[in-house]
Amino acid sequence: MKTQAADTRPQRETIQRLDRVFNPRTIAVVGDKRAMGYMWLRCMSTFPGRLYSVQVDPNEIAGIEEMGIANYKSLLDIPEEIDYVVCAVPRPVSPRIIADCIAKKAGGVALFTSGFAETETEEGIVTQEQITQMAREAGLLLIGPNCMGIYNRRLGVRHSGDQEAGAAGKVGFISQSGTHCINFSLFGAVHGIKCSKTVSFGNAVVLDAPDYLDYLAQDVETEVIAVYIECVKDGRRFLRSLRAAAQRKPVVVWKGGVTAAGSRAVYSHTASLTTAPAVWEAAMQQAGAIQTENMDDTIDVVKALVHCKPAAGRRMGLIAMTGGQSVVITDAFEREGLEVPLLTPSSYEKLSQFFNIIGGSYRNPLDAGGTIGMGFVPGNLQRLFDILEDDENVDAVAMEVGASFIVRRLRENPAMLDQMVETVAAQRDRSAKPFLAITHPGHAEDVMCEMRRKLLDRGVASFTSFQAAARALSKSIVYWMSQAKVD
Amino acid sequence: MPRNPATPNAQQQGRLLSEIESKQMLAQAGIPVTRARLARTAGEAARISEGLGYPVVLKIVSPDIAHKSDAGGVKVGMDSAAEVHAAFAEIMIAVKERQPEARIEGVAVQKMAPAGTEVIIGMSQDAQFGPVMMFGLGGIFVEVLKDVAFRIVPLEPRDAREMVRETKGFAVLKGVRGQQPADLDALEKLILQVSQFIEKHPEVQELDLNPVFAYPDGCIAVDARIVIAD
Repeated sequence: MKTQAADTRPQRETIQRLDRVFNPRTIAVVGDKRAMGYMWLRCMSTFPGRLYSVQVDPNEIAGIEEMGIANYKSLLDIPEEIDYVVCAVPRPVSPRIIADCIAKKAGGVALFTSGFAETETEEGIVTQEQITQMAREAGLLLIGPNCMGIYNRRLGVRHSGDQEAGAAGKVGFISQSGTHCINFSLFGAVHGIKCSKTVSFGNAVVLDAPDYLDYLAQDVETEVIAVYIECVKDGRRFLRSLRAAAQRKPVVVWKGGVTAAGSRAVYSHTASLTTAPAVWEAAMQQAGAIQTENMDDTIDVVKALVHCKPAAGRRMGLIAMTGGQSVVITDAFEREGLEVPLLTPSSYEKLSQFFNIIGGSYRNPLDAGGTIGMGFVPGNLQRLFDILEDDENVDAVAMEVGASFIVRRLRENPAMLDQMVETVAAQRDRSAKPFLAITHPGHAEDVMCEMRRKLLDRGVASFTSFQAAARALSKSIVYWMSQAKVD
Repeated sequence: MPRNPATPNAQQQGRLLSEIESKQMLAQAGIPVTRARLARTAGEAARISEGLGYPVVLKIVSPDIAHKSDAGGVKVGMDSAAEVHAAFAEIMIAVKERQPEARIEGVAVQKMAPAGTEVIIGMSQDAQFGPVMMFGLGGIFVEVLKDVAFRIVPLEPRDAREMVRETKGFAVLKGVRGQQPADLDALEKLILQVSQFIEKHPEVQELDLNPVFAYPDGCIAVDARIVIAD
């Protein structure tokens, strides 16, 4: 699509103002309650800036002050500027809080409050219309309603008490669903994916998906963007923002409500017509976005994008531990559109000097159990890596880390496992070729989980199945190659 | 023209232009179409045919008939004034029998284009994305196998390139059983021209070039249908 020559000033202004909301120095939580376990105030316990509560109910105030948090009867009473407001009041009170946010010139407000148009009740629709009008006229940045607002890992601004706070992550997530937004950050954390900023945007009456895309596209912390979306209001605007973002960094789009029954569910949520799946797919292809189908798929692709170096081609060098695994790892990668070519003569010559061919072979895949597993010879794994590194027929390397092998090693010589993680991590760091590991849980889920975590901690993309690894890598390669304008 | 079942969310709102009007509008935008002229009588049809040169094609012109072949309203390959006279009469009889209520303006006369590989280029409205273009090979590829590619308007050259290549029917365009390959550059250019045409004419709600004949050298739309917003 052509870049529209439209006026981009409002867009730039929104981005600048959103930057204040996503990076607050002061936060006010309005209407937190004991019945919710003071969930919002507890979420912000990791926030090092100044946190205020707004609550009028004396019974609630006592509990809030016990937590050591300053409470005010009104936003307007707080003696400094407020960058981000979380509003959890009941729906009928929400217009008054919006008016206060406007009077206070708050940076922005996330309305956790629900019961608006999504309920299809007259009061819900009317109140939503009212707060939308108020916010639009005053230029108030309104996130939601019916949403979980933002998560900024670096600043400890959270929307779930289970979320991590600490160093900035690299992945931004934009979600029409609060559940998926929180789950992405939680599941992602287990898979070596740290978030930069995420937002659950709910009914999107003022700020919509394109606004957040525009923001994360230019956010330097965010290197990869993932999106969960059910329907878009202005498809052409969404595509413009998506395309512009995908030209700067990978954007993964997970669409909910693709099937006929699924789209009926979306309709009953949002009362908007959905697009035929083939048209949606075409639109994503046109925008240069990577499409995923579910949370696992999304996590896997993001993992490959974050941890694997950008690939220059589709040709795999594969390492497996047994003959049977060599066959199926090859099928898995070929099925996802990747190639498993023969190696160069020079590689074969080097391999012939040390590769154990009793119960093994090295055409590619390398059936290497006897060489790096059972008859472990120190240095052999590194030698395999070196050969694949130098082989010009190989663009990317994937290695099976088999459960049987790991369990036996753990029993015999646990120190060797750490040594292996070290060798693999060092290879990942020094090689320009994408590298990934497959740690199938097999019969030892806990052990393999630990192994996967050790590898991920060192930045080695590790997947639970050949298929997941192949699919994620393939999707990331299509993106990098289209960015490099390679067919 | 056969119905295009692959077009999603087709909305039959607005006014259907006649083939002659549709082609005029497209020709003005530089889109390659076979020009058609209206004949109200058999004599007029024969005179126009003499001017165009043979062979010719006759098609019924009626605001009430969207699927002209089904109504018996299409005759191809007439080589003389006498054949044109006869064909005109046959069309009138067939249409009156099958669709007696239809208002008939006359018959569109056009020079018969040499046969080529049939492709379809269409546009329909999507609830979220607005105008969406469709490309596919004619006949069973589109109608039975739904083997089509979509792109949102406006298209870039890369989009047209991918569109032509991502259908299974692409294998046919590349040339099968000794056939010469179709002119892919010409098809891509046509797709981009249609995209620009749609952008320039927001009143166009639906559009079908069906079929387009793709040749080893060039391509031409031999039938066209446009729906304009009221």
